[in-house]
Amino acid sequence: MKKKVWLLLLLCIFSTSPALAARLDIHIQARGFTKLKVAMPYFTGPADLTSGIWTMCAKDLAVSGVFEVLNPQSYINPGPVSTIAQGTLKDWALIGADYIITGNVSRLSDMVTLDIQIIEVASAKFIDRKTYSTSAQTIHTAVHAFMDTFLDKSLGLNEMFSSKIIAVRQQNGKKQIGSFWCDGVGWQEVKGLGDLVLNPAWSKDTKKVAFVSYWRDNPDLYLLDLTTNKVELLSGRKGINSTPAFHPSGSMIACTLSINGNPEIYFLDLKSKNIQQITKSWATDTSPSFSPDGKYMAFCSDRCGTPQIYLMDLKDRKVQRLTFQGRYNTEPTFSPRGDMVAFSNSTNGIYQIALIRTDGSQMTVLPGTGKGDESPTFSPDGRLIAFASSDGNIYVTDLVGSKPVRITNGNGVYSEPSWSLITK
Amino acid sequence: MMKLSKGIILLVVTSMVFFSAGCAKRGVTSVEEVTPPAAQPTQEELTMPEAEMPEVEEEVAVEPMLTTPSFEEEMATFEQNMIFFEFDKFSLNPESRKTLAEQASFLNSNPEVKLRIEGHCDERGTLEYNLALGERRAKSAQDYLVFLGINPDRISIISYGEERPFDPNHTEDAWTKNRRAQFDILGK
Repeated sequence: MKKKVWLLLLLCIFSTSPALAARLDIHIQARGFTKLKVAMPYFTGPADLTSGIWTMCAKDLAVSGVFEVLNPQSYINPGPVSTIAQGTLKDWALIGADYIITGNVSRLSDMVTLDIQIIEVASAKFIDRKTYSTSAQTIHTAVHAFMDTFLDKSLGLNEMFSSKIIAVRQQNGKKQIGSFWCDGVGWQEVKGLGDLVLNPAWSKDTKKVAFVSYWRDNPDLYLLDLTTNKVELLSGRKGINSTPAFHPSGSMIACTLSINGNPEIYFLDLKSKNIQQITKSWATDTSPSFSPDGKYMAFCSDRCGTPQIYLMDLKDRKVQRLTFQGRYNTEPTFSPRGDMVAFSNSTNGIYQIALIRTDGSQMTVLPGTGKGDESPTFSPDGRLIAFASSDGNIYVTDLVGSKPVRITNGNGVYSEPSWSLITK
Repeated sequence: MMKLSKGIILLVVTSMVFFSAGCAKRGVTSVEEVTPPAAQPTQEELTMPEAEMPEVEEEVAVEPMLTTPSFEEEMATFEQNMIFFEFDKFSLNPESRKTLAEQASFLNSNPEVKLRIEGHCDERGTLEYNLALGERRAKSAQDYLVFLGINPDRISIISYGEERPFDPNHTEDAWTKNRRAQFDILGK
């Protein structure tokens, strides 16, 4: 009995002490959960349209992180089908489908209509039967609308395909910022910001973008107002002006300035442009990220000798170290749920996206692409993470280590994604 | 009588030759070192030694230390010099300090020269952190030049993070070359 008590006591000590608990954490190679299986026969309609639309739907189902599209070749009748015939549900159940999606595309001059039916196999019920109409140039809006309906009706998830990712694209030796929908569709680049543009960040209302440009032959911080298309200089101080992050209030950004001798984090008021020094150490302090309630700031510092992730309570400016595993932990980003921070971890020279809870527990390293992953950013509901891989593509993955889904198509080298819900 | 005169003349002439030869040489030749000729002096040996001395500028090979590099050459060397860093470090190694001393020497000799130091990183490591690291590398070089007496007003710094590799390859060798600080003379 006494032995058991001692063992229990020992366990308690180990589990409550955050530093020790972190060291005992197993380096988890996360496994994916089984996804819901969707059977989606090829759509019926004009040959020049159906293939592209079907492919976009299949990609969005994969990007959503919860669905897996069953290969049409495995269907009992693999041909294009616009509706599910009566009495055939058992055929779909046989191949393991949880849902069936059928679609018919039709075109009238410049308008395209997409008739979608979604059946839940287990209950034999329609969960969506709708016609989505769109112009031929914006077909993706129909696909995104039906995907959001599907996510809502099947799993009660918030809309996802109304969100955009801002990123950097390198082409011909120049780096520019642009944005696309979270499935990689519709890249729109911002022109006229210079040849080397980095560190893009959305405001919470997605009406403003802060970024770094070497336009004046120095890394300077700028603000682009997307409604007026006007650019203003936020900070052009000597040294670096980098890594902007909007405070949820929208009135201030955190950034890295080296004006006082080494890179430190400052708050910059967007109206007055006044700055306030937040970190004060001999070390490099950079990459700030605010919690969704604006009360905490995660950041990267090498004050203990190697770059690690820290959390600052903005009430009293007390700093707590979060990461204790690995010699290189950088680029923290707060989950919109406020309970965890994603960052880039390097172990044995391999860079991977990792997660840690805000109390420093449960550090999880995601296997990712295996090629070198960095710059994580959470989806608006905190369920997924987009990141950049050293192969020049942006991927979307979940929090449990499923195989990442590539959303870019290789026409340029992409980096530094930042994900936000577009407010209507 | 005739034989004796001939002998004396011979001796005097011989002595003259040897004495003159001694004056032409840089060193001092004392009388004791003059050895009696084993053979008759030839016609060539009787001519003035100075006439045979070559012009130093024409026939002696030009030694590098005797020419001064032009300012353009020194500027080029200055801008080609680079210092290198270990991964994730911004500290100076002895070789870097030696290079910086050479840079300081040029700068002291040319007080009107202003420069910008660029700090760079290799492609590993994450982008935002590398921007900060590049800054610290440039600052290390700047601080050391100031320590060597260069007026800080002459030096500005810039970080390019991992954005401007010297060698775009993805090898250890390329990465070593990319972890650098380099020097750019302003207003050339």
